Amino acid sequence: MSSPSAVAAQPGTRELTLSQAVNEALAEEMRRDASVFIVGEDVAEAGTPFKVLSGLVEEFGPERVIDSPISEAGISGIGLGAAMTGMRPVVDIMFGDFMTLVMDQLVNQAAKIHYMSGGRLKAPLTIRTTLGATRRSAAQHSQSLHALVAHVPGVKVVLPATPYDAKGLFKAAIREDNPVVVFEDKMMFAVKGPVPEEEYVLPLGVADVKREGEDVTLVATSSMVYVALDAAEQLAADGVSVEIVDPRTLVPLDRETIVASARKTGRAIVIDEGHRSYGVGAELAALIAEDAFYDLDAPVRRMCAMDVPIPFSPVLEDLTVPTADTVAAEARRLVGKE
Amino acid sequence: MPTDVIMPALGMAQESGKILRWLKSEGDAVEQGAPIMEIETDKVTVEIEAPASGTLAGLRVPEGADVPVGGVVAVILAPGEKTPPETPAGVEPMVTAQVPPPVQRTSGRGRAGRRPLASPKARRLAAERGVDVAALAGSGPHGAVLATDVESTGRGRDGSTAGVPRTPPRLGAIWQRMAERTTQSWQTAPHFYLSREVDAGRLEAWRASTRKRAGYERVTHTDLLVKLVAAALSEHPHVNAQWHEGGIVAAEEVNVGIAVAVDDGLVVPVVHAADRLELREVTARREELVEAARTGTLRPQDVGGGTFTISNLGMYGVDAFSAVLNGPQAAILAVGRIAERVVAIDGHPEVRSMSIFTVSFDHRVVDGARGARFLGTLADLVEEPAGLVP
Repeated sequence: MSSPSAVAAQPGTRELTLSQAVNEALAEEMRRDASVFIVGEDVAEAGTPFKVLSGLVEEFGPERVIDSPISEAGISGIGLGAAMTGMRPVVDIMFGDFMTLVMDQLVNQAAKIHYMSGGRLKAPLTIRTTLGATRRSAAQHSQSLHALVAHVPGVKVVLPATPYDAKGLFKAAIREDNPVVVFEDKMMFAVKGPVPEEEYVLPLGVADVKREGEDVTLVATSSMVYVALDAAEQLAADGVSVEIVDPRTLVPLDRETIVASARKTGRAIVIDEGHRSYGVGAELAALIAEDAFYDLDAPVRRMCAMDVPIPFSPVLEDLTVPTADTVAAEARRLVGKE
Repeated sequence: MPTDVIMPALGMAQESGKILRWLKSEGDAVEQGAPIMEIETDKVTVEIEAPASGTLAGLRVPEGADVPVGGVVAVILAPGEKTPPETPAGVEPMVTAQVPPPVQRTSGRGRAGRRPLASPKARRLAAERGVDVAALAGSGPHGAVLATDVESTGRGRDGSTAGVPRTPPRLGAIWQRMAERTTQSWQTAPHFYLSREVDAGRLEAWRASTRKRAGYERVTHTDLLVKLVAAALSEHPHVNAQWHEGGIVAAEEVNVGIAVAVDDGLVVPVVHAADRLELREVTARREELVEAARTGTLRPQDVGGGTFTISNLGMYGVDAFSAVLNGPQAAILAVGRIAERVVAIDGHPEVRSMSIFTVSFDHRVVDGARGARFLGTLADLVEEPAGLVP
């Protein structure tokens, strides 16, 4: 994966991997606020299988970086209880597929408690988990289930694509007073990008235009941003100017930036790695169709994971998700340059 | 039993008709004899009346679609009747080459009147600029009009700089028919032309004097020419003829057509039996026909059966011209303007009202000598219309 050109290395920045950026965000927040702690499977000595949290247990000790048994429902319940009683827990769910086990605590409890208590209770719970296919992890470890979570009012959903975004948004998530789920694509942990030396926090609900263009808008989430950037390079060679909008957070959603881009170019493809039907792609496409209708020169397209379980066979798995080639081909069709 | 509404045959050789417009909608109550649809054949546009009273149903042909003659396009239901499940017996609109988006197969759901394909942005831009998307050629999928197609019409928001669509808009039936018929005539009939300058002074005087008489106030040069041409044709039956299957067939009547320019092309209504009509009858008939041509209400019988055509461009200041034959007719008269010219009369220059007549002939039917004799007769009649003055 190439780095987005939109954020160039500048004085006062370093190249970090997305993994390092998340680690740095957690460390900074834990130093800043003693109520922040981490709980999850293999988060301490192992630093997670992806090594994102390496070194944190050494600095903050096993009391604040807690290895849990394999029980996502239990961990999330612990996290929610702690959150409601004054802590700022970060619950680590190793694979997004197991968000299904978190759902009762998250959907029926965490998402509702602030509302049902008339605002008297808060649940400053952050859940960090993963999404994304093509890691050859088969059907139960390859899903992108962020749409399930984004569907529920009361939960904020963050999908960072770059190290810069990941760090700034993660810090914002921890500081939120109600539940936030951060989905990181497990294929992006090694992606490098510039991150300022100085501390910063990015607001939730502000999209980022990763590339400016005139002919077609690609609204891309998470690692699909890189698919879009590669497609844009291909398309530029064909004389098609591509604008890429990364919503960065699904909830809250920066409708204005997405719609403004679609209105500017008149054509939009929404690229998201969740399943196509009833998903994030459908929601973003509907938003564009509703609010940019009279500026659209072509139907809004969705490019998502196929509506099938993600296959283990690498050959088949690669067919189920959008690629730069398929996105570029779809964009060419849309602008009439097949 | 529901009454079928069919595409009528309005001309002998007519194979199909186009539904231009439905004047009634599905479910409307209709009275027998009331117009329900407007159709266009290769020659005319006509309103078709309801064949029965009842409820119009089963409209299955969209506006703009061609339907074979005899095809059922709708039914009229008597009170209590329901649309039969398979009614009306399948008519598939014929897809014509000029219609860019193929006409959808009409299922029971009725896609009648589907609007032209255009993107929302193109539609909005077109509305803002006062451009009709239906008149634009679309570059998008299935011929859909895109924003760029609207923008390339070149008309800015201020309405300035009228531009031309990249491809021409669809032509009307009249123009298409004109294009086909002139091409066919030009390619099949060997044309030759004979011109003669005639003294139109008597014609002018004749018109002036005739107009003073009751019932003749609106006599025109054209009416006089129709009368004179009819008289000349009566004397030259070999000119009042046509080439048909390798032989010459003389016409039984003298039916003189008058070329009339209308907004979307050229039509030629016909004064039938012009040789037997009185001048004022010619005037009355010519007025009816020209009015019908201008309002698009010519009936098939108004434009059929012509044996000779007069085309007059004098009013446009044209001195002389050669016309394309109006096949299968063997001759057409092209009339230039009447202008004062100095001519030699008995060795002296005199000023006379002159006009140049040019007759085009089909050489398969008329040779040079016969054509010249016909033109001579006509010229003599123009210069001395004795006996034809009412």
